[in-house]
Amino acid sequence: MTRKHYGGRDFGTQRRLRKESFFKFLMAASASLVLLSLVLILVIILWKSLPALKPSMIIRNPGSGYYLGREGGILNAILGSLQVVFGATLLALAIALPAVIFLNNYLRRKSWLAETIRFSLDVLWGIPSIVYGAFGFLIMITFHLRASLLAGLITVAMVELPILSRALDETIKLVPSELKEATFSLGASRWQTATRVVLRQTFPGLVTAVLMAMGRGLGDAAAVLFTAGYTDKITTSLLQPVATLPLAIFFQLNSPYPEVQQRAYASAAILTLLILLVSLASRRLSHRLSRHKIR
Amino acid sequence: MNRPSRLRVENLNVYYGQNQVLKNINLDLPDNGITVVIGPSGCGKTTLLKSLNRLLDEQEGVRVEGRVLLDGQDIYQAGADLTLIRKRMGLLSQKPQVLPMSIYDNVAFGPRLLGLKDRKVLNGLVEKYLKLAGLWEEVKDRLQEPAARLSIGQQQRLCLARGLAVEPEVILGDEPTSALDPQSSRNVEAQLLSLKQNYTIVLVTHILRQARRLADYVAFLYFGEVIEFGPASEVLVSPRDSRTRAYITGEIS
Repeated sequence: MTRKHYGGRDFGTQRRLRKESFFKFLMAASASLVLLSLVLILVIILWKSLPALKPSMIIRNPGSGYYLGREGGILNAILGSLQVVFGATLLALAIALPAVIFLNNYLRRKSWLAETIRFSLDVLWGIPSIVYGAFGFLIMITFHLRASLLAGLITVAMVELPILSRALDETIKLVPSELKEATFSLGASRWQTATRVVLRQTFPGLVTAVLMAMGRGLGDAAAVLFTAGYTDKITTSLLQPVATLPLAIFFQLNSPYPEVQQRAYASAAILTLLILLVSLASRRLSHRLSRHKIR
Repeated sequence: MNRPSRLRVENLNVYYGQNQVLKNINLDLPDNGITVVIGPSGCGKTTLLKSLNRLLDEQEGVRVEGRVLLDGQDIYQAGADLTLIRKRMGLLSQKPQVLPMSIYDNVAFGPRLLGLKDRKVLNGLVEKYLKLAGLWEEVKDRLQEPAARLSIGQQQRLCLARGLAVEPEVILGDEPTSALDPQSSRNVEAQLLSLKQNYTIVLVTHILRQARRLADYVAFLYFGEVIEFGPASEVLVSPRDSRTRAYITGEIS
């Protein structure tokens, strides 16, 4: 420590303290800005949507003349979004989970294949979802498919896949190698170690990762724009077009009628609420599921 | 010794990359007794132990030469069944590693791997091995609780019970008491002493007093070489090699 003392007084300390409180103020300001922006978004959306937030919004399909400001709701888009996101997350999980187990339990950590896979996932993560949308659209054209629930959920699954894989990878990477060694030394194969111990140990993180990917898939508009189509009815088949909340917001906001624009904000409020529910559920679940976890 | 012992090491060399960690190890580990491997830290004790059940395979950049014979079979032979080899040797690590499940499921884990499903048989096994590890009385009323809630000393005895439940012939211990408090250490030591009639036990430790308490045979490892190996009464009391003597008297550590 290099302190300067002038006649018993300590000027260096004074300055450090002032510096400390200045930067502490800056950091606190940034932190409050984060909180403030969330509150601001919620308040504005709720404020704008208040006139349109009626039970009919969530229990009815669009009626005749809906887009001109007449009766109806967006039940079709709420259900449609859930259909797309559940299908997409299931599909993404079915690919991500085996891939990540392979990555962590079968490949050497620094092997070129593992590094290449992780790098590809990072690149995939960075690709904007509109590009996935365009890619999905191209495939649809090639196979003469129309915009449908199936095409939409496949495209959303592509958006979710890198997010899910990387999140799973990060959780599974944290499993101590000693724990795996303990399992191996009981005579467990790699497969048994992965399914009976590693997945159990990481289960809370796994659930969080799945819900995180779901939240992302739920809100993505670009991926479904070309691939899922839109409909005023409830979708009952994988090959029918499907309505989604982000597109409901997009279309309604484009309307010249103030009543319809209000409904766009109401749709946004509902979407935000759904995502909030997903986040809360992930917190709750991961806490409850950590019962057996080894720390 | 008349007949060859169950576990033998022949001309074992282990390299981490360019670095040779174990140099031409030859050991005849006596059946039904405790062999304690002593030596300063970094001398290759843990590597030696992990080479015995091929846990070394899990580490990157490791090369193994030589043979480890279990009942005359080389475990490094191509096509050797890894899971079977490991099942025949229970391992106690430095820090107890309980599995992320209940106390009951920890002990039942090994038997279940073998396909055992009968609840009654499993109940019997769990009780038997928890008793053998000296833990039954403490946990019999809370078998369904997460194993992670046990104290660290209890966890280590749970690991012992779990290891015994796969019915190994050999028990490997890598400083199994180093993370435990004195009372728990004594507990684990007592269990090991009572088990040695029926198992070949190989223990790595850096605590000389523990070696004195437990060892029937002692191997002194120094910079990857076995300097001296023989009955505890000889190696610990009147070592032949000057380096062993220096280690035992505390001149090198």
